[in-house]
Amino acid sequence: MTNRNLLRGLFLVAIALVFGLGSLKYPTGSFERAGPGLFPLLVSSLLFLLGVVTVVRAFIVERAPLNFNVRNIALILGSLCGFALISEYVNMIAGIVFMVFVATFAGTSYSVVRNIKIALGLIAVALFFQKVLGVQLPLY
Amino acid sequence: MEILHNLAFGFEHALTLQNLMFCAVGCVVGTLIGLLPGLGPLATISLLLPLTYSIPVQGALIMLAGIYYGAQYGDSVSAITMKIPHASSIVACIDGYQLTLKGRTGLALFTAGVSSFIGGTVAIMVLAALAPALGQVALLFGPADYTALMMFGFVCVSFVTTGSLINGLAMCMIGVLLGQIGTDVNSGQERYTLGLPFLVDGVSLVSVALGCFGIAEITKNLDSREDRSPFNGKIHLIPSWAEFKRIIPSALRGSVVGSALGILPGGGPSIAQFAAYALDKKVSKYKHEIGSGAIEGVAGQAAADEAAARTSFIPLMSIGIPENAVMALMMAAFIIKGIQPGPNMIAGHPDLFWGLVASMWVGNCFLLILNVPMVRYWLSVFKIPYNVLFPCILFFVCIGTFSVNNSLEDVLVTAAFGLLGYVFLRLELDPAPLMLGFILGPMLEENFRRALLLSRGSFSTFVTRPISGTLLGLVGLFVLWQVVASFLKPKAADVAHASEDEAAEPAQPASGVTS
Repeated sequence: MTNRNLLRGLFLVAIALVFGLGSLKYPTGSFERAGPGLFPLLVSSLLFLLGVVTVVRAFIVERAPLNFNVRNIALILGSLCGFALISEYVNMIAGIVFMVFVATFAGTSYSVVRNIKIALGLIAVALFFQKVLGVQLPLY
Repeated sequence: MEILHNLAFGFEHALTLQNLMFCAVGCVVGTLIGLLPGLGPLATISLLLPLTYSIPVQGALIMLAGIYYGAQYGDSVSAITMKIPHASSIVACIDGYQLTLKGRTGLALFTAGVSSFIGGTVAIMVLAALAPALGQVALLFGPADYTALMMFGFVCVSFVTTGSLINGLAMCMIGVLLGQIGTDVNSGQERYTLGLPFLVDGVSLVSVALGCFGIAEITKNLDSREDRSPFNGKIHLIPSWAEFKRIIPSALRGSVVGSALGILPGGGPSIAQFAAYALDKKVSKYKHEIGSGAIEGVAGQAAADEAAARTSFIPLMSIGIPENAVMALMMAAFIIKGIQPGPNMIAGHPDLFWGLVASMWVGNCFLLILNVPMVRYWLSVFKIPYNVLFPCILFFVCIGTFSVNNSLEDVLVTAAFGLLGYVFLRLELDPAPLMLGFILGPMLEENFRRALLLSRGSFSTFVTRPISGTLLGLVGLFVLWQVVASFLKPKAADVAHASEDEAAEPAQPASGVTS
């Protein structure tokens, strides 16, 4: 069992370190004339502190389980990235079809006929946006 | 008298055919998203933000505001009929659903609709009277005071929305840091762009909001894997005179509580409902019935949550600092249209301010019609299975992000924030404070740097100025209290938090069990 509280603390510390160490690359300046690096450094120090407190607390309070379902989030993100890439290199209608067919794997049931209907409906909406509302969509 | 004059001026602007249409669209969309699980006002407003580029400024603001307060009406309907809670209708699930079990759904829906109407009306009067007056106070604020006010806001929001100061504050900080990505306005230095050209202008607000709220929420609903059966009971709407008389006092109490809590930093509908419910439990004539399906248990909280949704516009429009995440998005909408909300807005753009206030009352009437006589038709929305709904929401997420800059890279950024949002969700970190931090971050840095520049690098400016001194003193007290409380009984606090979680998700026993 992974301890959610501990993981949360470590996660906060990691973010603080990424931004804190990154801010050292920029000139800090003085308090009177603050450089671009000063403010992010201060904020990430504060975040680092909060992360450390969370880690310490994780050993005091009871452990809590972490639930992480990789499958659904991977399918949803995959369908989004696929949409972006296919729209870039082919066209957006293909992107929409791809997104519908991949994302629905995450649902409780899968039906090709239903997916075709959804995809057709969404393409119609996209055409409406493009023709009537004047949104710039690279549909074809 | 001046208020009446101003309101009349506002109605002139709100009652044009075009603005009436935008108001109606906002109310319909708001009610719809209030009903549906998994798409709150935050995600919807950010979805529609790109559309507002092409419509006139007043119409855009009227529509977005309508979505926010409209959602407060709609969410009581799904809470009462099916016990589906949203952040601001947790309490409606208690007595409202009990009334449904007793076969009095119609009565509960009527009560919620009418009480929301009363709450909204009271709040609009508070808004019209208070916002201009508070704007005068805001003119006294210097950069140090603004810095302190934002810190105070962070602390309040963290505590109210997440119940844990550490988690909430950490999320605010992460938001502020994410807001640092892009070009520093003072020095022209590019920060955290990783050399990617599309990050030079910073991360798009729409990407952050849709990733953290839209994508993460969809995935959470998919993880819980349950099919909801639509409501099929009979609805008899018209109450008896005796029942009607019970609604009024409770709704008025709720309106006052909600209006007051809506103004405070960190306030808003989600906390107002609890306060109003608790008050009714103490003072109502029928307090022994509350909890087992009393009219008062529905009326008070519905009025409070509607009132708070409207008075939370006060800090934004008078001081220029949003007090919760939705208001932060509204502020982004103002800025997109080239208007800086704050003390100068009411004087500089009176048509916008009074038009918006008047449109809120027009919206109130629309919503009353939509949610009381027409409520039956709305319930058929639930006949759409989630398996059809979520690809459609995803589609709107894609189109919404794309159309901000016509850039497909933004869709990838949204996907990245979707992953981040899902991680936050699973680590029990609430993304709402992140949103506030993200939008206020650049303002906080600007004011912080300016305050130090004026004081020649001395931090004493934050303590010696009366306004910032008081605010920071309050922040200090609050933090101290939390630290003492958390170290005295860490276990008790954790248990209390766990039971709160259960109360927050009564309709989703399966959520998070699949892994």
